[in-house]
Amino acid sequence: MTIGAILFAQNNTTVDYIKLAVFAARRIINHLDIPVSIITDNTQWLVNHYPDHPFDTIIEIPIDTTPQQKYFNDGSLASQKLDWKNKSRSSVYDLTPYDRTLVLDSDYIISSNILKPALHNSHDFQIYKNSFDLASWRTTNEFKRINQYSIPFYWATAFVFNKSEIMQCFFDLVTYIKSNWLYFRNLYNIEHSVFRNDFAFSIAIHIMNGKTNGEFAVDLPGTMSYVIDKDILVDIIDDKIHVLIEKQNHPGEYILSKTQGIDLHVMNKLSLSRFIDGGTGV
Amino acid sequence: MEVQVSKGFLLFAQNTKAVDYITQAYALALSIKQSQKDITSVSLITNDPVPKKYQKVFDQIIPIPWTTDTTSTLAGEHRWKLYHVTPYEETMVLDTDMLLLEDISCWWEYCSNYDFKFCSRIKNYKQEVVNDTYHRKAFIANNLTNPYFALHYFKKNSPAYEFYKVLEFICNNWEWAYDKFASDEYQNWLSMDLAAAIAIEITGTHEHAVDSVSPLEFVHMKTPIQGWSPIPVSWQDTVPYVLNTKGELIVGNIKQSKLFHYVEKNFMTKKILNKLEDLNNGS
Repeated sequence: MTIGAILFAQNNTTVDYIKLAVFAARRIINHLDIPVSIITDNTQWLVNHYPDHPFDTIIEIPIDTTPQQKYFNDGSLASQKLDWKNKSRSSVYDLTPYDRTLVLDSDYIISSNILKPALHNSHDFQIYKNSFDLASWRTTNEFKRINQYSIPFYWATAFVFNKSEIMQCFFDLVTYIKSNWLYFRNLYNIEHSVFRNDFAFSIAIHIMNGKTNGEFAVDLPGTMSYVIDKDILVDIIDDKIHVLIEKQNHPGEYILSKTQGIDLHVMNKLSLSRFIDGGTGV
Repeated sequence: MEVQVSKGFLLFAQNTKAVDYITQAYALALSIKQSQKDITSVSLITNDPVPKKYQKVFDQIIPIPWTTDTTSTLAGEHRWKLYHVTPYEETMVLDTDMLLLEDISCWWEYCSNYDFKFCSRIKNYKQEVVNDTYHRKAFIANNLTNPYFALHYFKKNSPAYEFYKVLEFICNNWEWAYDKFASDEYQNWLSMDLAAAIAIEITGTHEHAVDSVSPLEFVHMKTPIQGWSPIPVSWQDTVPYVLNTKGELIVGNIKQSKLFHYVEKNFMTKKILNKLEDLNNGS
């Protein structure tokens, strides 16, 4: 059985996702010791700008000509509206070269080997349901259920799946939900109009579970830690990550926080990008 | 040789001006016939007239014995009589404003190890186990157990008889019993749940009557325990629901399991009733 990781990277005018993916891939190889492939719509950019990239395979997908847009925050005071090309996630089943695949967002910073057991067990599908916000004051209800009236929330940020019939069904279902997003959005009472993989995955898992609690999706080891894009990454040194966490009721003020040996979803891609370029994300 | 004992569900219905409990009992009986594999016998205790169409789903319709004028809001003073009138060796008591959606053979199996057993765990429609601190203040304040009379089991035997005798005493002297055992967060009406909790306290049958590993549970649709803010008046106005042609009840896109306590009386519409009848007729 072949085991490897997949990162998606589709640049917009401001965020170089390919750069983030190159950085993330090196950490995956370092901590989890598995090959990493990239799915991107711009192989040329990768080859030209990162000729020493660590990718095992480069998988080219067509450019999304009708991308969604959303606001990307850069700390608690700055934000900009940019393209958000997130619709190719469900194609990973067909595109992955591996029998068992770890899929990660390119802003998911691996700093431990906690995911290793998930690569070597027999579960068809493992994903994070439980998460931990480094800012303990923030409400996390939006990451517990897709809304207070509805179903449990799952993070499409990190998951492990097998090539199997049931997983093909699952990804077909995610594709179907994506194609009929307006219907599912209304059915599940989702406020935001933009398509989110987290929501589509949550709905698909719910349906695969027979619309009740079930065991289709097994929890990944540990809890997914994250900082949102209103926080600012300072730096990443080996397995230590420094982050400025936005202060409660004081926009523009932050508290320094440090993690060590913990994988971290750093949602502020702009500060992550600055760090990779110049050694500090501030 | 295995001795077969009679087992069945027992429902208590006493219509009020506002609520047709007989129709609720009929709907519940239909859902039992539809969902249960082995034990499908249902008997009804009532003094109200039961329409002919409804009668066929009940194995027995039993009059409420030793009636007096009702004074409490929940007609609780009659419910201690369940033990004395049940036609079964093993009885599962259900409130009428419930629907049984899945087979509960394993509950019967579990309960058969006990003389009586109360449900002490509820869930909301999201299938989350709920610690109901909203409605159960008296139980918590007085360190009582947490039984739900709406779902309980008993055998026809001496321990269950003794328990029900104590329950009778509490129902008939509930103000005294509340003063003695539930004086904090005092409830000024006879609640069968609180009466049962006090009976458990008096008889010292805590482990026997309730336990944390018991499979007995139901989905309770009182709005304060659904995890909503602000708390709405009606769950039916808050989340969509449908009883589909497979007999699955989907609330807020979540399939409801086993026993569903809908609470709101207007849930039992003609449409739902027709669907239950269709399901029973195999159409």
